Amino acid sequence: MTVSTTSTAPAAALGVLPRADGSAKYSHAGYTVTASVNGPIEAQRRDEHPYEAHVDVIVRPAAGVGGTRERHLESILQSSLSQIILVKNFPRSLIQIVLQVEDSPENDYVNTKLVQASLNFSIMPALFQTAVLALLSAGVPIRATATATAVAIVPQDGTKRSVVDPSPRDVEIAQSVHVLAFTSHDELLLAESEGDFTVKEWDDVYETAKDVCCRPVPTKEGMEMVLDDEHTNGPDLRHFLRSTMENKVASDLHWK
Amino acid sequence: MTTTERPLVLPGDPISPDLIPSSTSKPLRLGPGLRHVPPSDIVPVVAGQLITNHQKNSMWVEYNSNRYIPAPGDLIIAQILRSGPDLYFTSISPYTPPATLPHLSFESATKKTRPQLAPGALVYARVVLANKHMDPEIECVSQSTGKSDGLGELKGGMVFDVSLQFARRLLMAKSKEEGKVEVLELLGGEGLAFEIAVGRNGKVWVGGEDVKAIVVVGRTLRETDEGGLGVEAQRKLVRRLAKGMK
Repeated sequence: MTVSTTSTAPAAALGVLPRADGSAKYSHAGYTVTASVNGPIEAQRRDEHPYEAHVDVIVRPAAGVGGTRERHLESILQSSLSQIILVKNFPRSLIQIVLQVEDSPENDYVNTKLVQASLNFSIMPALFQTAVLALLSAGVPIRATATATAVAIVPQDGTKRSVVDPSPRDVEIAQSVHVLAFTSHDELLLAESEGDFTVKEWDDVYETAKDVCCRPVPTKEGMEMVLDDEHTNGPDLRHFLRSTMENKVASDLHWK
Repeated sequence: MTTTERPLVLPGDPISPDLIPSSTSKPLRLGPGLRHVPPSDIVPVVAGQLITNHQKNSMWVEYNSNRYIPAPGDLIIAQILRSGPDLYFTSISPYTPPATLPHLSFESATKKTRPQLAPGALVYARVVLANKHMDPEIECVSQSTGKSDGLGELKGGMVFDVSLQFARRLLMAKSKEEGKVEVLELLGGEGLAFEIAVGRNGKVWVGGEDVKAIVVVGRTLRETDEGGLGVEAQRKLVRRLAKGMK
């Protein structure tokens, strides 16, 4: 099985919303998402938990109002983000994460007149990554950073090909789409799949995703190594996350 | 401050053992942004610069944020929300549960003579109790001496919001040398008369006779914070605003 990728390098900006406690704008693989994080703030009585913070994730599509699909994505994100947020530090409070989808890639093969809310798994990495960046920007205590990617298994000329960050066309013809997220300790944080696949295929997907998400951060001497890019398969998300945060911390601590 | 190296840390990053101060006479103190995972791991929980102080045998992560999390001993500016039977409910940051301020936590306050604070009044106070399971408690009197030490109601003036890091810089003992904020001295040098109180919850109260001066001071502070101005840019800004005053 060959591995290919369609996407370009990710881009991010932190602190784009002045009034929120933390915010981030992230674009990758045709998707652009803006997130705001507020918290810990007072939780509504019905969300209050005596021993931990309630993590509230809201996904807003680019057009229209959210429906069942968004609720589904929200519930997946909620359960994986509350694993990395130190929820026990803030009992009876609320950490609110709002994710606004701004742009999603167009499918050249289908004539879509109306931009309808139609979210699928291939947007999950963008949502997840934006949420993590916004949490970092807000300074919400988290256990570890995390990176996420999507992999689709696309049939091609009788064989199968796995595509990192699949385009809408790839998703359309794919046999299965998988979303995986890993913490910075290389632990699997999120694994969601849809479609038909075998255990062998899932294992391959796991290896591919792990390579994209968990590439070891190069040491200072090895900085030039990254530019050579011996791994051609997908962007180096962990390195991207670190350099984004490096810029943020450097601009915050300019006076030091 | 003896700091040799200040590496960037991300949440969950391992901290190399030679960065952890190893004094045997004093216990190791962990400041904001660090978590002790038993038995012996020290893990950052926010992204920032790891700072180690070998003299005090302490370490913490320096970072900027907007949401204030109370810690005992912090000086803050709180707003009275309402009065209860024997305490005031005050707001120290938006959308968080109110902090309590007992009626008797003022200088020489007794049951009969206690300050009457209307909802909306501002107080400069110290956090006495802050833990995750209880609402924070603040006071306007020093428990040991019974003196107010400058705490109490802030009359008149205006409040400006700044980032938490800027508030900490203003509160530094040597804010000019270590924090690189000179605006207050510069504004004073321009002949503006004002009083100032800085709260660690990201609020700055500016008081004085002249409303124009208050606004100028507040604007200078906010522009310095938001623009991330260096010392030279601060001088330029103060000159420009002071020129507008005349």
